[in-house]
Amino acid sequence: MGVGREERVGGAEDSSRPTPGAPRPAYERRWEARRDGGEGGGQSAGDEARDSYYGLPAIHRPQWNWLIVLYFFLGGIAGASYAIAGIARLFDDAESRRIARAGRYLALATLIPSPVLLILDLGRPERFHHMLRVVKIRSPLSVGTWVLTLFGGVCALTALGQAAEDGLLGRDTALARLGRAVPERGLNLLGLAPAFALSGYTGTLLAATAVPLWTKRALLMGPLFLASSMSNATAAIALILALTPGSGEAGRRRLERLETVATVAELALLLAVRGGLGETIARPLVTGRLGRVYRLGVLGIGLGAPLALRAGSIVRSRAPSRAATTLTSALILTGGLLFRYAILYAGRASADDPQATFALARADERRRT
Amino acid sequence: MRHSGATRSGSNLVLTGPTGARPGAVGFLTDTTLCIGCKACEVACKAWNGLPADDFGLTGFSYDNTKDLGAATWRHVAFIERFDGGDGRRPTDLQPFQSDWLMLSDVCKHCVEAGCLQACPTGAIVRTEFDTVVIQQDVCNGCGYCLPACPFGVPALSATDHKAHKCTLCYDRLKDGLEPACAKSCPTDSIQFGLVGELLARARGRVETLQGRGVAGAYIYGDRTVGGGGGIEGLNAFFILTAPPEVYNLPARPELPQRKTMPSYLTTIGTAVALGVAAFFSLRERGGA
Ligand code: SF4
Ligand code: SF4
Repeated sequence: MGVGREERVGGAEDSSRPTPGAPRPAYERRWEARRDGGEGGGQSAGDEARDSYYGLPAIHRPQWNWLIVLYFFLGGIAGASYAIAGIARLFDDAESRRIARAGRYLALATLIPSPVLLILDLGRPERFHHMLRVVKIRSPLSVGTWVLTLFGGVCALTALGQAAEDGLLGRDTALARLGRAVPERGLNLLGLAPAFALSGYTGTLLAATAVPLWTKRALLMGPLFLASSMSNATAAIALILALTPGSGEAGRRRLERLETVATVAELALLLAVRGGLGETIARPLVTGRLGRVYRLGVLGIGLGAPLALRAGSIVRSRAPSRAATTLTSALILTGGLLFRYAILYAGRASADDPQATFALARADERRRT
Repeated sequence: MRHSGATRSGSNLVLTGPTGARPGAVGFLTDTTLCIGCKACEVACKAWNGLPADDFGLTGFSYDNTKDLGAATWRHVAFIERFDGGDGRRPTDLQPFQSDWLMLSDVCKHCVEAGCLQACPTGAIVRTEFDTVVIQQDVCNGCGYCLPACPFGVPALSATDHKAHKCTLCYDRLKDGLEPACAKSCPTDSIQFGLVGELLARARGRVETLQGRGVAGAYIYGDRTVGGGGGIEGLNAFFILTAPPEVYNLPARPELPQRKTMPSYLTTIGTAVALGVAAFFSLRERGGA
């Protein structure tokens, strides 16, 4: 029984073929390519019926859309900027306090829209609280829900404490008293766990599915999202400091160090994931619009350009100017958003491609024998 | 009851035998060599479960018009026309059974370890007392995570009520001691309902018979060796196939997606520690810096 046959890459299913109008399911494009005698030289229905069911998807693709792309972006920044703030707070100089303050407010600001986006994405938003009926460790979505809930509390309390410290809540209001009562040090350390978890679990959420492009390199997906969230959050904090008067060079230099580490880690992980996908599964990241977004947006704007700029300032061994920091931050943040867009939509496309699903199963077979 | 050597006590699977199904588990044996493509199962399923009709369109590639399992299609009959060689011409001699058409009535596999069930964050998907997998409609909030978590592409979100739906193995009929509607209506007994252990034994006998009659390619899809491996521990609704699984749009070696959850948590935690340390040293005040 011929399981484990040759991986077949038919030209007719090349999604780089321009398709007028709205994007249609892959099988319709394949059908048209076949009808027109397309690039594959006119595959017959019989040809396709030999190695898939007429090119129809073998699994159901996730329905997630831009709401989830935006949530991945904002939630990642929320977790990672809280973590950066927490670590900066371990030091007691003025620049560290400035970084911590920016990180904490940023965490709260990016956290607040997160549950809203998640709830809007549900088929039945009014039932969102059903997520809180159960705790399921093996379901990253369940774990993520609880992490977000826990982190929400910690993040809000920390921001309250910070606001009281900054005198934003008035002198003797109830809120200010509450804010001053926040056990700042303990909360700071306690919050690190949910903060890191929030910025990385999204990768495991994608990995624990049957979607070929997400699950092929399952072990690297969490680390990839975590590294990306770190670089995005660092860039965002650096941007805030660059735009606020009074912040010094030392802070920018420290953030630049962290940003370089995170960006290099993200690039290495991304290339490792991409390299391990194989030709069939990686196709959505190579061809068409998504391929361009991946190459130009993610690799070029998000990672290549900032690293090149960094290399310049490291060679000259000077702290980056405000303008340079603003520019690299903007590049990294744009790349971070595009990265999540590309991965999410490429996953949807790979779920629609039965050859990708079957290639995954065959690769697993090879690995096991 | 004969049960193929596999027992389960609590959640401890005994990893022997062709399936990890509990004693007493019920399921389907769908013998594709007996299917005549009448779609009685599709219709009976819709009638019993009150499912709306699908968009009546012609696919243009076969007698299939539902194309896929969906929110309102819990049985789907696939029609695969077999062509000879690579020349696209129809062969002049017929294969034994089903001539040159393969037909398969696809359905939720009611996996022993089900990806959809493990993924569901609301606990809407449960395992019933019959060892079947059911989505509780009063709990599901339409998050859609079960869709990509099923290695077979079974659950689907309804455009009408925005919740996930799939075959319940006629839970309400089982409760009343009736067999599921599709099995009841199948005129050739291509769909057989019963205890998984008994069905597996019957399937093995049938495969032997088929091979004796010249269908060398007949095999069972859905035990631990084919279709039910990779942590899935067997399918309670399994099949007798005569061509590679891909031809029927079934993965040859599906894997339970949640096998990867724990390892990927661990790598993520490791990375968090590494990046935390990197952050500590990057953000630290350095003399002269
Ligand atoms: S086939 Fe899919 S939907 Fe059915 S029990 Fe298995 S994982 Fe769930
Ligand atoms: S869509 Fe419904 S059944 Fe599916 S995982 Fe979400 S809550 Fe569970």
